[in-house]
Amino acid sequence: MPDRILSSSAALAEALHEEMERDETIFIVGEDLVAHAGIFGQFKGIPEKFPGRIIDTPISETCIAGCGLGAAMTGMRPLVDFHFSDFVTCGMDELCNQAAKIRYMFGGQVKLPMVVWCPDGAGLRAAAQHSQSLESWFVHMPGLKVVIPSEPADVKGLIKAAIRDDDPVMFFQHKKLFAKEGPVPEEEYVIPLGQAAVKREGKDVSLLCYGSGYYLCVEAAEKLAGDGIEAEVVDLRTLKPLDMDTVAVSIQKTHRAVVVHEACRTGGFGSELAARIQDELFDELDAPVKRVGAKDFPIPFSPPMEDFVLPNVSDVLKAVHAVTYR
Amino acid sequence: MPTEIKIPKLGLTMTEAILVEWSVGAGKAIAVDQIVCVIETDKVSLEVQSPAEGFMHPVAEAGSRVAVGEVIGYVAEDEAALAELQAREPAAASATGKAAAPATAPEPPEKAPEPPPSPAVKPDRRPGERIVATPAARKRSRELGVDLAEVAGSGPGGRIVLADVATAAEAAEDERYEGMYDFGSVAPESEMLTVEETVPIRGIRKIISRNMKLSLSSQAQLTLHTEASARGMRETRALFNTRLEEGQVPVPYNAILVKAAAAALRQHPRLNAVVDGRDIKIWKEIHIGMAMDFGRGLIVPKIRNADAKSIRVIADELGDLVERAQNQKLVPDELQGGTFTITNLGSWDIDGFTPINNFPESAILGVGRIVDKPWVREGAVVAEPRMALSLTFDHRIIDGALGARFLKTLKDRIEDTRLML
Repeated sequence: MPDRILSSSAALAEALHEEMERDETIFIVGEDLVAHAGIFGQFKGIPEKFPGRIIDTPISETCIAGCGLGAAMTGMRPLVDFHFSDFVTCGMDELCNQAAKIRYMFGGQVKLPMVVWCPDGAGLRAAAQHSQSLESWFVHMPGLKVVIPSEPADVKGLIKAAIRDDDPVMFFQHKKLFAKEGPVPEEEYVIPLGQAAVKREGKDVSLLCYGSGYYLCVEAAEKLAGDGIEAEVVDLRTLKPLDMDTVAVSIQKTHRAVVVHEACRTGGFGSELAARIQDELFDELDAPVKRVGAKDFPIPFSPPMEDFVLPNVSDVLKAVHAVTYR
Repeated sequence: MPTEIKIPKLGLTMTEAILVEWSVGAGKAIAVDQIVCVIETDKVSLEVQSPAEGFMHPVAEAGSRVAVGEVIGYVAEDEAALAELQAREPAAASATGKAAAPATAPEPPEKAPEPPPSPAVKPDRRPGERIVATPAARKRSRELGVDLAEVAGSGPGGRIVLADVATAAEAAEDERYEGMYDFGSVAPESEMLTVEETVPIRGIRKIISRNMKLSLSSQAQLTLHTEASARGMRETRALFNTRLEEGQVPVPYNAILVKAAAAALRQHPRLNAVVDGRDIKIWKEIHIGMAMDFGRGLIVPKIRNADAKSIRVIADELGDLVERAQNQKLVPDELQGGTFTITNLGSWDIDGFTPINNFPESAILGVGRIVDKPWVREGAVVAEPRMALSLTFDHRIIDGALGARFLKTLKDRIEDTRLML
C-alpha cells in the first residue's frame, strides 16, 4: 500500500486515536486541551470522540505531572501534555524524584506507564524561556526513557511504543517540525524504543542525529554528495535506551562520526555519545568525534542572534570536512 | 656551455610525460647522475638523472606535460653561466621554493649524494619522535603489517590517517611485486596503429593481473578434462526446486557442484593445499570460491566450510553472495582465504577449458555447459545431458594420478548425488 503524506501533528493525532480506541485506560491531561485540541492541533478530533478522556487542568505543571503520576500508579496510561518542554522545571520533583524512581523503590510492585509529551526547540522567535532543548537532563536520570522523533512516520510509530511502555517516557517533539510532512504507512505499526534508523547510507562519515538535527544532516548529506563525500545519516530516534549497535555498525563502516543536535553542546547528548564511541569503538576511529550543537547561550529573542546561536547546515559541513580531512 | 636536461624516450609509443616534481631546487649544486626530477608516463614513473655536474636551472614547471626530447632545464657549468641562464629565462617557480640556499656562491659537491631510496613518500620524523596516528590507522596497520614508522601522515600536524596506511600498503605491495605488471612499453610503433584508449592497470585489475602472473609463473599447472552425466545433478536440483518454500531461492547447479567438490576434497585433501615456502600446507577447512564476474572484473567470494553445509544452505549462501556481489556489497574478508575454486563458463556454451589456479590455491575446477548428446545406455542410444569438467592443478605437489582420482571422485558424486549423503 502506498504511504500517505501526513504532517507530524496529523501523524500524532492518528496514533492517539488508534491507541485510545484500543485501550480505554489511555487519557490525556494538560492545559487548554479541550477547547483547542492542543495548541498545535495535535489532538484534533479527540475531545469530540473521547469526551472525558482529555482533561484540562489549572496552570500548574506540578499538578499535571502529579496527576499523571498517580493515575499511572493506579492502572491508567496517562499522556501528560507539558505545553512547552521548558515548563518541565515546574514538574521536576514529580518527574525525577517520583516517576523515575517509584517502580524501583517499590521493588517492581507498581508500573509507571506515563508519557510526558514535551514540545521543544527553538527557531520560532519565542525567546529563551520557550525555546530550549532539554533532553539531556532526562537522559541523565535513571528510570526515565527519552524519545525524540524527527519524521512524521517516526512520530506515529514511537508515540505508540511510548504509550505501550510500562515505564515513564519523556517524548520530545520539535515545535518547528509539527507542520513538517512526510510519508506515513497506511497499516498499523509500532517502532520499538531503542531502535535507530539508518535513513541514508554512506561510507565516508556517520552523521548521528535526532529531532531537528536530522533535517540539518539530510541537507548536509545532500550537499556533501556533490563534493563526493558519502555521509550516512543515522536517526537515533530514542536516546534512552540508545541503539549503540546501529551506531557501531555505521562507524565500523565509516570510521568517522559527527553528532548533531540542537541542544547546546556543553553537556549535550553529543558529549555522552562521543564518550561512548571513543570507549567502545576506539580502534575504529580515523578522526576525533565532532559535535555540532547550539552555542552555550540562552536562546536570544532577536532573530539574527537566535540564528547565530543555533547550529546550521554549514556547521555540519564544517565538522564533516574536518573529520574526513577533505 | 650549459648542458640541457631533456625528457628521455622510455618506450616506443611514449610521446610525452608529466613532470611530477623537481628533486633539486633552482640554483643548487648538483653532481653527475644525481636525481634532478621525477617524471611519469601512463606506464611508469622515472627519476631523471643529471647529465652533468654544475648548478641546476630548471625551467619547466612541475605538474606540466612535457614532450619527449623537450628541454626542461639546464645544468650550468659555473656560477657565471648560471647567472647568464637566469637572465635569459627565469627558473621554474615550482623549483625555486625548494632553493633554500641563495644562488650566489654555492659550493659544488665533492661527489654525488645518495639518491633517495624510493620515490614513495617517506616520513620526515626525528628519531624517537612519537608517531601520531588515528586508532583506526593503527588497527589497519597491524592488520596489513605496515610499519607506521615508515608512513607519512597527511592529517593535521602530520597525523597518520586510514588513507595514509592504505597508500603505504599499496606502495609496499607495488614494491614487492615490482615488475609483476609492468614490462615496459611493448606496443609496436606503427603508422597503421593508433591508440584508441589507454586503460591504466590499477585497482582490481592490478590484483587480478598480479595473481594470474604469480599463478602461472610460480606453479607447474596441468589440466585434465573429463565429461560427466548431468542427469543425476539435474534430478537433484529438480527435487529441491519443485518443493521450494516461500522465500527460498531455487537451487542452482553451482550449489551442487560446490557440495560435490567439497566432498571430493575431503577424500583427497592434497588438492586442498598451498605451497608455502618449502612446505606443502594442507588446510583443515574447505573454503570453496565461486568465480563471478559482473562487469567490474573477476571476483571469487567464498563458501566457508562447504563440506559441512547442505546443498540447500550452500544455495542460500550463493544467492546472497551473488546479490551482494552485484550490488558491490561484499566485504574483503569474503573474497579472501579460499582453498579451492570453481569457475563455471557453461552459460556461455563453453565445454572444456584450461582454468588458471586462483593463486596461491593448488587446484581449480572448470565447469562447461550441459548439453544433450547421444549416449549408449543399456544397449540403446539415448539423449543424455553431458557436462565437461576441467581440473587444473599444481603438478609440483599433485601427481597426475591423484588429480585423475580426484576428478573421478568428483564425477561420481555429480552423477549420483546420493554419494554425498
